[in-house]
Amino acid sequence: MLRATLKGMASRKARLVLTSLAVVLGTMFVAAAMVLTSTMEKSVSGVIADAYQGVDTVITNGTDPAAAQGNTPSAATVPADVLDRVAGVDGVDRAVGEVSGQVNAIGSNGKLVGTFAPTIALTWDSGDDSGYIEFHEGDGPAADGEVAVSAKFVADSGLDIGDTVTAYSYTADRTDFEIVGVYGLSGDRDSLAGETQIMFTTADAQRMLLEGEDAFTTVYAYGDASTDDIAAAIGSDEYRVQTGEEASAEAAEGFAVVADFMGYIFLGFGLVAVFVSVFLIINTFTIIVAQRQRELALLRAIGAGRGQVVRSVLTEATVIGVLASVVGLGLGLLLGWGLSQVVSATMMGGLPVQLLIPATTMWALVVGIGVTVLSALIPAVKASSVPPVAAMREAVNPPKPLRGITIAGAIVFAAGTVLIALGMTDNLGGEELTGILSGVGIAFVGVTMLTPILSRPLVALLGAVMSWSFSGRLGKLNAGRNPRRTAITASALMIAVALITGIATLVSSIKSTTAEVLDLNLNSDLIVSGAQGGANIPSFSRETLAEIRELPEVAAVGDVYMDFFGTQIDGEDAPLASSEDLNAALGVFGGTVAEGSVTDLAPNSVVVDEGTAEDRNVALGDTVEVTYADGETAQLEIAAILDGYDLTNGWWVSPEQIEHFTLPKPMQAYIQLEDGADAAVVQNEVDEILADEPEVGVTNNAEFVDQQTSGLDTILAAVQILLALAMIIAVIGVVNTLVLSVLERTKELGLLRAVGMTRGQVRRMIIVESVIICLFGAVLGIAVGIGLGWTVQRALEDEGLTNFALPWGLIVMYLAAAVAVGLLAAIAPAARAAKLNVLNAIAYE
Amino acid sequence: MSTASPVKTTAVAAQGVWKAYGQGEAQVVALRDVSVEFASGAFTAIMGPSGSGKSTLMHCLAGLDTTDRGTVGIGDTTITGLGDKALTKLRRDKIGFIFQQFNLLPTLTAEENITLPLAIAGAKADPDWIKRIIHTLDLTDRLSHKPTELSGGQQQRVACARALASRPEVVFADEPTGNLDTRSGAEVLNFLRTSVDDFGQTIVMVTHDPNAAAYADRVVFLADGQIVEDMADPTADKVIDKMKHFEELVAAAQGENA
Amino acid sequence: MPLATPPAPPIVRNAVTASGLWRAYGSGEAQVVALRDVSVAFASGAFTAIMGPSGSGKSTLMHCLAGLDTTDRGTVNIGDTVLTGLGDKALTKLRRDKIGFIFQQFNLLPTLTAEENILLPASIAGAKADPAWVNRVIATLDLSDRLSHKPTELSGGQQQRVACARALATRPDVVFADEPTGNLDTRSSAEVLGFLRKSVDDFGQTIVMVTHDPSAAAYADRVVFLADGQIVRDLHGPTADSVIDTMRDFENAVPLAGKAA
Repeated sequence: MLRATLKGMASRKARLVLTSLAVVLGTMFVAAAMVLTSTMEKSVSGVIADAYQGVDTVITNGTDPAAAQGNTPSAATVPADVLDRVAGVDGVDRAVGEVSGQVNAIGSNGKLVGTFAPTIALTWDSGDDSGYIEFHEGDGPAADGEVAVSAKFVADSGLDIGDTVTAYSYTADRTDFEIVGVYGLSGDRDSLAGETQIMFTTADAQRMLLEGEDAFTTVYAYGDASTDDIAAAIGSDEYRVQTGEEASAEAAEGFAVVADFMGYIFLGFGLVAVFVSVFLIINTFTIIVAQRQRELALLRAIGAGRGQVVRSVLTEATVIGVLASVVGLGLGLLLGWGLSQVVSATMMGGLPVQLLIPATTMWALVVGIGVTVLSALIPAVKASSVPPVAAMREAVNPPKPLRGITIAGAIVFAAGTVLIALGMTDNLGGEELTGILSGVGIAFVGVTMLTPILSRPLVALLGAVMSWSFSGRLGKLNAGRNPRRTAITASALMIAVALITGIATLVSSIKSTTAEVLDLNLNSDLIVSGAQGGANIPSFSRETLAEIRELPEVAAVGDVYMDFFGTQIDGEDAPLASSEDLNAALGVFGGTVAEGSVTDLAPNSVVVDEGTAEDRNVALGDTVEVTYADGETAQLEIAAILDGYDLTNGWWVSPEQIEHFTLPKPMQAYIQLEDGADAAVVQNEVDEILADEPEVGVTNNAEFVDQQTSGLDTILAAVQILLALAMIIAVIGVVNTLVLSVLERTKELGLLRAVGMTRGQVRRMIIVESVIICLFGAVLGIAVGIGLGWTVQRALEDEGLTNFALPWGLIVMYLAAAVAVGLLAAIAPAARAAKLNVLNAIAYE
Repeated sequence: MSTASPVKTTAVAAQGVWKAYGQGEAQVVALRDVSVEFASGAFTAIMGPSGSGKSTLMHCLAGLDTTDRGTVGIGDTTITGLGDKALTKLRRDKIGFIFQQFNLLPTLTAEENITLPLAIAGAKADPDWIKRIIHTLDLTDRLSHKPTELSGGQQQRVACARALASRPEVVFADEPTGNLDTRSGAEVLNFLRTSVDDFGQTIVMVTHDPNAAAYADRVVFLADGQIVEDMADPTADKVIDKMKHFEELVAAAQGENA
Repeated sequence: MPLATPPAPPIVRNAVTASGLWRAYGSGEAQVVALRDVSVAFASGAFTAIMGPSGSGKSTLMHCLAGLDTTDRGTVNIGDTVLTGLGDKALTKLRRDKIGFIFQQFNLLPTLTAEENILLPASIAGAKADPAWVNRVIATLDLSDRLSHKPTELSGGQQQRVACARALATRPDVVFADEPTGNLDTRSSAEVLGFLRKSVDDFGQTIVMVTHDPSAAAYADRVVFLADGQIVRDLHGPTADSVIDTMRDFENAVPLAGKAA
């Protein structure tokens, strides 16, 4: 039996190639994802371990690990006397204190240095002989007022050795420093992972980051003292004592999150590709079994058991699965390595890549083989039920009734939608998001099961458009004659299109919401704001604000101050906002007052929107207690209630409270121009005023929207590329089905040619069939995708995603792509059909 | 579409046709210098034992296969040397086919199958003519059925209707009753006979069944790629005798070779 | 089941027995009754032909006798084993070990050589065929120089001979042949039929053959005639002429009320 199976396979080589290709692609992506994740993790921990080279013990303030980075206004520190005590421990050769955090440095163009991260500030450890830091020019800061900067800093800022750089932080004003040295990291690198660095003396760093406190954010000990000894010497459990390795591993983890995230994305798409392959494999084996029917019936007649027949079909599947998965694994390793290089070069500043192939890549093999064999199981079992009598005659395959799968599909779909509905109406006890996502997945499966029954009317509809010629009509009939097969083929395409349409719908909804929020009532023409790249919320000075107000063409300015570091209202966390003139600001924002008044806002007042007021159970006239980051509190009376409106929702405290904010500076300004003013001209004027403001810039409304959504377009493009993989597999599926159908219908084609159909007409027939199947998949996919997008949008409506917008341009593009794909996929099958030798086709043996 | 002309012209003619398959030692010569004419408006049967070349002859006459030597003509047209497009057109407009099985497209109804060649040509059928055929073949109440809903005999009748729908110059039938029981077979043969008698159709039928051959006006016997006998006004018995005679000849010849 | 030595022909009198078989297809108006109360026994070591016009039920009868189709009523026995009511597994085993098949066409797996096709049932059983016996069969069928050829490289007659060899390779209790010479020319037919005859005469094989060809039936020891699902005649020691005459009687006797296919 085995030999018969293997020999049978050899004769069907061509048919199996396409199937194998799909498995290869899916496995490849899964393996690549795993390699990418582990390689990036290893590479990152590699460079971090470099940084911790030689460090034996690390002491930090244990209360808040994140605060030890000097990120927040109140850093957690290790006092200087602890350093002394550590230095005095037996076995400690050297103890060094480091002050590190984030600062804003102003580059030669007047704007902040650093693209998507603030500049890292460090202290210069003159006793460090590890070779981790290599000076290209000059040396470390010997005196206060001097700094050394990393090579990346030089590249990003346009400054160089000898220049003056201005730096400031949340807690320190602008101070000038002279650049006395430029360094790189060991291995001839400009940065650790793409960030910019600046090195101060210890005193300067303490001034910039710790408000002058004589303390450190970290203490490093070198020597062979144990952590226990040191911990005992410090004698307090307020401090964490770790070995160098422990600290290095912890730091690496934080970085690795990014790599992991990307790995998971790839893995996700790999799994989608694998899922799509399932359809392809089921189809192929169904067709193969149908063509082997006589052979299988013969085997059954001469005594092969059902199990043997099933095993025969599954053997074929296993062989394909193993071969294809192994090839896919190999290619996946290569791809993973390649991706790591790309990611490292583009996103992590040329991090040296240390390839690590995790044992988990074996799972790619398991997935590839498992999916192939399991998918072939259904056709295999069907094959075994071929009655031996079928060996005696040319069996006619009546189309199987669709009732079973339709009912099952309807039930599954209903279950999915119920789950979604429950989730959206908050009836799942806290697991709403999980419920909605599961519901979406289940509904998806349900739609896939309903595809066969949907294929009839849809194919007829789509075909009506294309059956102006007789061959077109025949093609349409062929597309509809086996609903299951058409459905399975189209489903693969549907999945890819549905996912991409869903994401595109979401993106366009987000864009539309953002645009609408601005357009709705917003009366401003220009907006002053900053990208979140600095060490703090981007802000500018009050003087600058005043200057802007004084511009002749400016009618009104709505300014916004904000704070959310540890701010609370009545004991609950709440972000705060304020404005110098709330009444004027509301005018610019287009917000309206529901109750009370905002003109001449009295001190110790607060204004809140009606939605929040309802949630907090407060009303006009009530008093609430506000708590600030520094611990100070105040009792504020609710002076007005605002109508619900995105831009003005929240708590607005009266302006004299601003001095309690962590950063009492304006952060945004919405500028309304006089009628007839030229926005472009005014924009230039504001730009000049902002020359001295490194953190913010001015944009008009359209630019502002683009700024907020540019990231989305990138995401959308990336998703489209990744889903292209699934699309390729789906297209392979279409080609596969068509080729096998042509082979199956040899006699019919022979008949048509014999009665006078030309080669061109035959080709047209196949082309129409192909285009209809692809359009069917695309139309269904678009419908499902819109449903998906709508569901997610509704689920996030409360979070602010209020608009639902269809990406019409993209939808048309996807439909056109489906037609193009249909034409492409038909090339080989049509050629095959046209080349048919009529005589052979109509012969009986 | 040709009109059924009562003038006795030659509908199909083969002249010096040779056809061989394979190479060298394994070469099989299927037709050796075959020359034959089929009169228009006549019903001719081609018979012969398995391997005699009768199917090959029909394929060559119908333009489904090329000849190595010799020429074939349908009516006034010489089909030898025509390209695929021209041959296809010829098959569409001037030739009708009835095969032993797989005559119909499963996705079309009986009626659509009948008008298939016309639909392919994008032409309109002559409604009166179609009605007449359908009526004669007793298919009027089966027109909207798909082939799977028809019995074997009904399917062959639909095939007959299709073959005649475009009023071709000649209808080639390859074992049309091979898969049918006696009664269905008789119906089909009767219809073929009627089409010749009443409509002036020309029919060339390959068969191995003496009873079927009896419906023809003439039987051409092939053996070993050559025409060995030409019988006018055949009856089943005469044909059976002839066939038996051949088998003896063939057996004797093989007995010599063995 | 190792076939080390060819067992002596079993002394069971009847290799195949059918009792009161009924078989109908379809329902209501479109129902076709293929077999009506058919009872017949086939002697072991004999060559029996089943004949009848198209639609007489002869193929259906063979399918039922061979366990390829179920009956609505009645029982079938192969030797001592009751076929009726057996589950698929048991039926499969039976077909593998005790029954041989020769079909009109599509007998061979196109991807296997002649030799592999002959040994196929044994391979399926995971057993080894008796090499001496198989060689004898191959020699008798004159296939020794064709063993490594694939079916596409064999003529129609040769293919059928390979099929015969396969059917006999396991020395089954009975060989069912369904129009084995239907697609063959006279000479090849004669070869195959001659071999079948020889296997009965020399090896004691039991053969039940369905055919429409009178000269093929003439090779048999006995011809059973079916018409309209019933056995209407039983002819012993047939000749081609006597068979033709008997057939003619039917076709005249049975009016055109026969069911269309």
